[in-house]
Amino acid sequence: MKVLIHDRDLTFSDHEKEKYDRVIYADGRYAPCQGCFKCWTKTPATCVLKDSLQEMCRILGQAEDLVIVTENWYGGYSPAVKNLLDRSIGMSTPMSTYRGRQMHHTLRYKINNSVRVYVTGDVSDKEKETWKLLVERNAINWGASDYEVCFLDLQRDEEGADL
Amino acid sequence: MKTVFIDCSPKMRLSASGFIMRLTGLFVFGKKKKEKLRTPADHDRVLSEIADAETVVFSMPLYVDGVPSHLLPFLKKMELSCLERNKDLNVYVIANNGFIEGKQNEPLMQIMENFCDRSGIKWCGGLGIGGGVMMNVMRILLIVFLGIALMRTLLSGINEGIIFPSWPWIVYGKQILEVLALGCGIITFDIWLAICINRKKEYGKHYTRIMLPSFIFILCADIFFTIISVFQGGVFRGWFSKKKPTVL
Repeated sequence: MKVLIHDRDLTFSDHEKEKYDRVIYADGRYAPCQGCFKCWTKTPATCVLKDSLQEMCRILGQAEDLVIVTENWYGGYSPAVKNLLDRSIGMSTPMSTYRGRQMHHTLRYKINNSVRVYVTGDVSDKEKETWKLLVERNAINWGASDYEVCFLDLQRDEEGADL
Repeated sequence: MKTVFIDCSPKMRLSASGFIMRLTGLFVFGKKKKEKLRTPADHDRVLSEIADAETVVFSMPLYVDGVPSHLLPFLKKMELSCLERNKDLNVYVIANNGFIEGKQNEPLMQIMENFCDRSGIKWCGGLGIGGGVMMNVMRILLIVFLGIALMRTLLSGINEGIIFPSWPWIVYGKQILEVLALGCGIITFDIWLAICINRKKEYGKHYTRIMLPSFIFILCADIFFTIISVFQGGVFRGWFSKKKPTVL
């Protein structure tokens, strides 16, 4: 399954929908993660907060190709996208293992996937370095065998680059 | 000197971030203000506290290798406020994660440093803690053990007529020492951070952890989550199953 998550707008969703199995517009109209871990311990793979992100971990967990388009916020994801990712930890299990010689959670779906992150907006050189580290760390946590981070100027090209 | 401590955990109570923040606060002198930042309703109150502060200490959990999402809009507001007022501020960060390696907090530290750069305020460094949640569990256990020691003292008095038996308190003393031994890295680096805050010095980035071999920590974490999942019923609701989305 090829999944696109973005924080642009609905027009961008329409523009990209032919290329993906799922296009998710992170509109920010949902609650942030409460850190309760109930998506592991009480209702596995289901968030207890009843909104559009309740089963988001199931979609992300089954994504063979995950593409994220996000505005740069200090070298990290925009609040709307980060919120969506924070609410998706149910794609792993509460059990721990070693990956990359460090402790991580075991994966619920065990899909050998790839992650590509497209960053929009003004990004300083220092923030670019943070992005590279962040996406590398995300890829390890999500069990992705392949990852990439690209910096785009979507303000200049509203039609969008070839993602 | 006014120092504002901000507990950025989304948890209402018993957060590890809040506990480590208060632990650091014990060693910081001068005027101190502790704030909780959970929702947008907290933003203006926290910003008004920062307005006349010289130092801000953020304490937060690591979420998906970065800053928890609910904190980001606050950082943007704070950036604008600092730029508008040309604010002179020292910023320190305490980050803790559920994994054993404190080093896993590095992307979060960099994000907070980038925030300081954009806000024109001084990044003074941060402490990344691995397994901070275990320290939090242990301090709760210490309170439980204190209750047990009191109960044993009382029962000993009733059954044997000994008014203050020493053995429950020797056992409790050993339990305190065990917690201190496991947390000695966190406590030492925490005191060092507090010294830097008091002296307004740069701390740099340091990483520490609970003093356990990682395989034992993993075993403890697995047992902890198994027990919680049994009590909350998760093990009976497809604990590891590959559930598909029900909403198309």
